[in-house]
Amino acid sequence: MEALAKSLVNAVPLLAGVPLWAVTLLLMVVVAVVILVFALTFEGVGSLVLRKVAGDIQARIGPNRVGPNGILQFLADGVKLVLKEDIIPANADRLLFQLAPYFVFVGSFAAFVVVPFGVGLIAADLNIGIYYVMAVTSLVVVGVLLAGWSSNNKWALLGGMRAAAQIVSYEIPVGMALIPAVLIAGSLSLQDIVRSQGGLLGVFGWNLFHNPFTFFSFFLYFTAAQAETNQTPFDLPEAESELVSGYNVEYSGIRFGFFFLAEFGDMFIVAALATACFLGGWNVPFFNADTLPWIWGNLLSLGVFLTKAFAMVLIMMWVRWTLPRLRVDQLMRMSWKYLVPLTFVNLLGVSLWLLLFKGKGIPGMIASLFG
Amino acid sequence: MTIRTDALPTQEMTINMGPQHPSTHGVLRVILTTDGEVVTRAVPDVGYLHRGLEKIGERVTYAQFMPFTDRLDYLAAMNCNCAWAWAVEKLAKIEVPERAEYLRVIVCELNRISSHLIAFGSYTADMGAFTPFLYAIREREKVNDLFEMICGNRLTYNYARVGGVSGDAPPGFLEKTKEFLDYFEPKLDEYNNLISYNKIFVHRLANVAVIPAEEAVAYGLTGPNLRGSGVPFDLRKDEPYSVYPKFDFKVCVGTGERGTPGDCFDRYMVRINEMRESIKIVRQALAQIPDGPVLAKVPRVFKPPVGEVYFRSECPRGETGIYLVSDGSVNPFRLKIRTGSFVAMNIFEKVTRGLMIADIVAVIGSFDIILPEIDR
Amino acid sequence: MGLKAYLNDIVEAVVTTAKGMRITARYGVDPKEEVTLQYPEERWEIPDRYRGFLHNDIKKCTSCTMCVKVCPVDCISLEAVRGADKKMVLAFYDINIGRCMYCGLCVEVCPVKSLTHTSGYEMASTDRGELILHFIHEDAAEVKARVARQVAEAAAKAAEAAKAAEGTKAAEPPGPATPKPAGAQAAAKAPEVPSLGTEPTPAPEKKE
Repeated sequence: MEALAKSLVNAVPLLAGVPLWAVTLLLMVVVAVVILVFALTFEGVGSLVLRKVAGDIQARIGPNRVGPNGILQFLADGVKLVLKEDIIPANADRLLFQLAPYFVFVGSFAAFVVVPFGVGLIAADLNIGIYYVMAVTSLVVVGVLLAGWSSNNKWALLGGMRAAAQIVSYEIPVGMALIPAVLIAGSLSLQDIVRSQGGLLGVFGWNLFHNPFTFFSFFLYFTAAQAETNQTPFDLPEAESELVSGYNVEYSGIRFGFFFLAEFGDMFIVAALATACFLGGWNVPFFNADTLPWIWGNLLSLGVFLTKAFAMVLIMMWVRWTLPRLRVDQLMRMSWKYLVPLTFVNLLGVSLWLLLFKGKGIPGMIASLFG
Repeated sequence: MTIRTDALPTQEMTINMGPQHPSTHGVLRVILTTDGEVVTRAVPDVGYLHRGLEKIGERVTYAQFMPFTDRLDYLAAMNCNCAWAWAVEKLAKIEVPERAEYLRVIVCELNRISSHLIAFGSYTADMGAFTPFLYAIREREKVNDLFEMICGNRLTYNYARVGGVSGDAPPGFLEKTKEFLDYFEPKLDEYNNLISYNKIFVHRLANVAVIPAEEAVAYGLTGPNLRGSGVPFDLRKDEPYSVYPKFDFKVCVGTGERGTPGDCFDRYMVRINEMRESIKIVRQALAQIPDGPVLAKVPRVFKPPVGEVYFRSECPRGETGIYLVSDGSVNPFRLKIRTGSFVAMNIFEKVTRGLMIADIVAVIGSFDIILPEIDR
Repeated sequence: MGLKAYLNDIVEAVVTTAKGMRITARYGVDPKEEVTLQYPEERWEIPDRYRGFLHNDIKKCTSCTMCVKVCPVDCISLEAVRGADKKMVLAFYDINIGRCMYCGLCVEVCPVKSLTHTSGYEMASTDRGELILHFIHEDAAEVKARVARQVAEAAAKAAEAAKAAEGTKAAEPPGPATPKPAGAQAAAKAPEVPSLGTEPTPAPEKKE
């Protein structure tokens, strides 16, 4: 951001007198607004796509009255939520009740900072990228617990407890499933991980095809991440048919809207991380995006990244509408007895592979056979 | 009340799974006492839908009570209509034309299919898989179209009459029924592939709320709840009425194929298999149906002889028994309806001890209760 | 559990999930699998026997009150007076379709088939008074007054004719020529309908 600020000050003579920190701050605000707009648009359109996909799978049409083919439905929903009465239960803990949605939303939105949208399109290329994402998305647990507790409602409390247990337990498989990508790239920074999958191998440069262990890692990550985002089959915290919406049962209006938006934001983060770490990120196949002119490189890589990320989101929705829900003890069992050992074994496997084959993947080895 | 005496005392929670709840299949209130997620006591509180149907029966005539039986179990209204008609005919010893009996069996079995579809759909929706519900509704709409053709209504049919049925099958009805059966039979395999044998679904249902056969009989369970525990008792075979002896079909029992015999999965699979058997029955009925009148001559002012009768028929949710006392006047003197769902509430408390809250939902769905039947 | 059962669990989970996802994928991409009927632009074709709102063809109705007697919820009410030609004249015939349960028993028992089901099912309204269908469009009191007048006129005419006949046959003993009292009211059994049913156009006191 500093470098960008410096280059901006140099390029635009009008800003010569403004101190650098002010320009940097202004740039940060602008970038944050851009990402916020993107996040909110995605979350709105994502909710519509979810309903349309649900309609398709369930042999019916989704929303199609507001706007052509229903595309303005999310705006109508947003307006409706904003106009609703803000109800705070009488005996609820007011401060915590009002605070909880912000925790959840911030926990989801702050992770957008390190998402590598394109060659030069990343808000902050932190050198602890993945570590930062794991840390920040854990804020969601705090928010959910606060919501469950402060609602003064036993069903909400149950939902909050379940959510806390679930999210905390699935953090481990998520983290360990991402480590193979880190090991291959040798860095926690997401841009480095994406770059490590680039090159002339094209599609086969993806971490997905690097070695069989990373292949399984991808599916383990996807499963664990589906639990992180409270999607069916892991949607116990908001199990509609049991807990009547779980931890957000007492929330109305835009406060509920925050929870709802954060869920889609989380889905995008999961999809973005999966794309960046396993599916080659913004690498345009058979091109080196760095060599293209600035505008084309960014546009193409952004397009590629978004396509892959949206495909992952669609797959998550597809799984959501197919599978039933796990019970809470089965959920815990799946995490601790299945996913954690499997990710451990995976990690061991990847480490041994990299040691033995000096970091080369299967496509790399086949390519080097042909010179 | 503390239940542990070590360093960290805990307390039981009393939660109200209130009349308004997405999964209680109606206005059922269950008062749960839980230790965290594990239920120590679950007491059902019924009566939120009591409308005094039995009292209404005492002030209307026998023919006028027929629409009220529609509202007794609105998902299997044809079965309830026919149960009332059979009960009154047994009391007054009325001979029903054979074509009418065949039509009654056809609509009763079609209604069994549509009722089990709702049981299947809402059960999977309670478990979190929302799509099979929509598929079930789509199939059910086709059955409703058939019923609309024959009697004019899609939910409260009022089709049976004392002495027969209200109208003969219109032209095209029997062909359309056959078309529906051909369309529907492969769908059952699709449902099995999609959800019935899905590992998560099986895990949710297997070994939950096991009811051994002796207990099921002792608590008076009937219908798929009883057959799910392995007891091969089906009123259509063991105390046949109407023209059921003419049909060849299997009695589906639970075998414990994915858990213990008598668990939720068995009760669920019994319903799926019963749909297949109902298709068989309807096919045979369509092939065998004779011509003839559809309504016997019953006097306009109908006064059955003094006496009492208990008639039981196999409705999709169990045995619907009608105990009818007549004093020779145009109105029944007393009628009492015994329904399978009400009796299933009997065993609810016993079977839910030690289950988790998520399992309560599974148990309610596996009993396939419907509140108008419980509360009348 | 052993390693074999453990791995079996995983494999079974993946296989059954994949089977289910294949079915939902087929529905997801197949455009023919859409069964939505987009009401109100598209409408369902109503079959002949559909039990919609009731309609009484007043010209055919003989006010035999069979429909009133057979209705399980007492939603039909009528009053008829005997006219000058000894036929019943309807003063009012109301069906409260808000109360009607669309069972079809009244249509079945109507001996002259004047009462029929239409195929209408759309009459949502914000006022319960609007749900009472009136099939006699005159005021009931006026009808009764008119019929009473007609009967009185006919009686007067008959009395004159009888007097004239009496005058010509002076020797004959007076016959039982007492004219009948004006208007043998043959009111139908007025069922127990609450305040909404017996007045033709009740003023809605309570907004329902």
